[in-house]
Amino acid sequence: MAVSPLVAPTSDAFKPSRPISSPFKRQTSAVPSSNGNGTPRYPPAARSAPGDGAAMTLDPIEQLNEDEKRKYVKGKKLGEGTYANVYLGHVRHDPSTLVAIKKIKVQQQYQDGMAPDAVRELKYLRELQHPNIISLLSVFSSKDQNLNLVLEYLPLGDLEMLIRDVDRVRYGAGDIKAWMGMLTRAVWFCHDNFVLHRDIKPNNLLIAADGEVKLADFGLARSFADPGRRMTANVITRWYRPPELLFGARHYGGAVDIWSVGMVFAELIIRAPFLAGNTEVEQIALICKQIGTPTEDNWPGVTQLREYTVPSEVVPVWGKEAYMGRFGAVGADGVDLLVRTVALDPKKRITAREMLEHRWWRTDPKPTRKEDLPRKSGGEEKMGADLKRRNGILDDETNNRGAKVARKLDFGQAK
Amino acid sequence: MAAEDARYRQTSQYQMWSFSPTQLAAMRENTNAAARTRIAERLASLPAASNTTSAPTSSVNTPDPEGASISALPEFLSAPEEAQLMNFYTLELLRAGDHAEMPDEIKATAAAFFRRFYVTNSIMTYPPQEMLIVALFFACKAEGSFISITEFGKQFGKDNPEDILAGEFLLCQGLRFAIDVKHPFRALRGAVMELSTLPDIERNRLVAAEHRAREILRFSALMTDAYFHYTPSQIMLAALSLADRGVAERLITQTFHYVAPPFTSNNNSGSETPATSGPDAPSSNTKRNAAPRSSNNSGEDKSQIIGSHIRDKVLGTIEACRDLLSKELPERREHWTNKTVIKAQITPLRKKLTKCRDPDRWNLVELQRVRREQATKKGGGSDDGEPDDRTLESDAAVFGEALPVPPKRRKVGATDGGGGPGEGKGDPFGGPL
Repeated sequence: MAVSPLVAPTSDAFKPSRPISSPFKRQTSAVPSSNGNGTPRYPPAARSAPGDGAAMTLDPIEQLNEDEKRKYVKGKKLGEGTYANVYLGHVRHDPSTLVAIKKIKVQQQYQDGMAPDAVRELKYLRELQHPNIISLLSVFSSKDQNLNLVLEYLPLGDLEMLIRDVDRVRYGAGDIKAWMGMLTRAVWFCHDNFVLHRDIKPNNLLIAADGEVKLADFGLARSFADPGRRMTANVITRWYRPPELLFGARHYGGAVDIWSVGMVFAELIIRAPFLAGNTEVEQIALICKQIGTPTEDNWPGVTQLREYTVPSEVVPVWGKEAYMGRFGAVGADGVDLLVRTVALDPKKRITAREMLEHRWWRTDPKPTRKEDLPRKSGGEEKMGADLKRRNGILDDETNNRGAKVARKLDFGQAK
Repeated sequence: MAAEDARYRQTSQYQMWSFSPTQLAAMRENTNAAARTRIAERLASLPAASNTTSAPTSSVNTPDPEGASISALPEFLSAPEEAQLMNFYTLELLRAGDHAEMPDEIKATAAAFFRRFYVTNSIMTYPPQEMLIVALFFACKAEGSFISITEFGKQFGKDNPEDILAGEFLLCQGLRFAIDVKHPFRALRGAVMELSTLPDIERNRLVAAEHRAREILRFSALMTDAYFHYTPSQIMLAALSLADRGVAERLITQTFHYVAPPFTSNNNSGSETPATSGPDAPSSNTKRNAAPRSSNNSGEDKSQIIGSHIRDKVLGTIEACRDLLSKELPERREHWTNKTVIKAQITPLRKKLTKCRDPDRWNLVELQRVRREQATKKGGGSDDGEPDDRTLESDAAVFGEALPVPPKRRKVGATDGGGGPGEGKGDPFGGPL
């Protein structure tokens, strides 16, 4: 069931079950002996706390946590942000298995305990298991009562890096099709599990060692609201934000993510952000100019949205042909799909499932096999550079354009 | 294979928090026994350091509280007594949620959190009266409602946010960081919508059935172990069946209508956890099977999903769940708040509880403070950028007062937080510095 209804599941559609034991499975054995404590030399980085537990005895659940923690060795810091620090790590008994350990910081400005982005990320990553969604391998608390998320290690950067490196990274329609396929499956899976991601953009699409694209950063995710319940409109990084959110809609669905997917699609083709407004007003103006002005005709009800304002000069919605010049690299079918993802009226926008059923996937060129996809490579140094950047991505919100969105979230009324 | 089944098996609710009644009972016995042992140890070490001269290190692995020092161990709560108090406090939680006018989902999530937490923690260890407020607070967040702690605290007369926040991480850890709870409420709505399309069911009857079923979901499903044993859709069907058996069975027969051809192989690789057997919300099965992949459904596949023997199996499961729910019908709310009952059954247990509480764990604020002190202390020069504003004096104060620590165990080094009795020893943590 895991992959998508249309693309034949690869054999790893069901991941090996997570190494998360049931709370009691190991309780009896967890007490002193089972730790395989034989390894006398812990790398210094693993400062697994001399004196941990010395001042206080451990209850079974605490012992389990210690065991979980001890399965991993925390290595060098990859990045530091206001929300989290990210460390390279590896599995203790198998140093070749690398992981990323994201240590959520206690946020100074958030006085109400565990921060919303941490809660969301924990909640959704724990449940969503799919080849195109970053895996949460484990969770443990460190002694200072901080949350540590152990994530699969994705060493090849993100889509944004590939898109931007115009000089060294070349890719074609088959590659775009492969990446889009993986992205669409991830989004389909989220929506099929009633989860909205609400921050899809190229630098949240990380690349695994085998080329697989993985959707990451669920810090803004939420479950579909029951009909009638309001949600915040203040989500999704501006360039990827759909018109309904820019107009302040408080009721919305999976279509918001689909718009973002469309923007990523366009960006993959032209290798620059398609609609890069500096303000919300500018963003709306760009949408009107490049896609068409939302009106009662093409989107019944739009004028009722509380922040509906559009430039006075009404631009008719552009047809497919208008896109061919700039986006024709993916062929007429690809353009057809793109146009459907950026339908102004969210009700008319294609769904993730319909996207997967689109004929573009079946027309030539075939999607590139993931191991043949272009990657940002070129030796060890490159890899090191990628690693350093990885952090900025994993603990996303800090130093990129997503930051503002996240910070502005109106938690009081965000339901 | 019904996609919902496979999907449900991926949830943390199924993977980590579903147990058979036998398993659950054994776990609770375990928890109770472990708590007794630990509390006995801790109480024994309370008097003073002087008491523990006899080889504190080795006593670690041979917990023998009865043997050595203690004369006056309190009488502990038994596992069944804990269970009874558990129900009492679950109702307290629901009442607190009502008082704060929280939506059903939040109250239900809080109740599930609360009961999960106390599967592996004894109520002798952590204070249920406070943890239930913590559970409500964290349930708000888990359900996407991020309200200010100050606002939240006011509703319960808690002026100090720390009183609530101190338990948040503890709760989260006790939940093993699985904070998504699947509820039967939406399933009920879906079932009723499905039923309303049937010509032979009167509208008034359906309205009444939904109303009653919802009451049962809001109370009975939370006051019992239903969430541990059954899937949301099973719980929903059981509640509906209690409300109006005819309506529930109509839905089930409607769904499992496929008449199998002579041969059937019904070895549903059945795992023994009951939660697997019933398909999630039969109503959605029919819809989802429109998926392209179902095109290769043979008759046998069909009978595996909507055949009559599956129907019988589902009916059996629903019946069992029904029995469970019927132990705490909504009318029992009065029972749990009835003064005479409280006085006769609950008050004595609470009295007992005050005498056998865990001295190290009961005060959540203090516990958290000590933990933070420890972390800060040993984290010196670490790369974690933790707040570092705590002074040595305050450490001393904490360890001096809060934790009666035999000073001689402070041998590991300056960074050692001091040694308590217990198995911290020999444990992995003595790694070289």
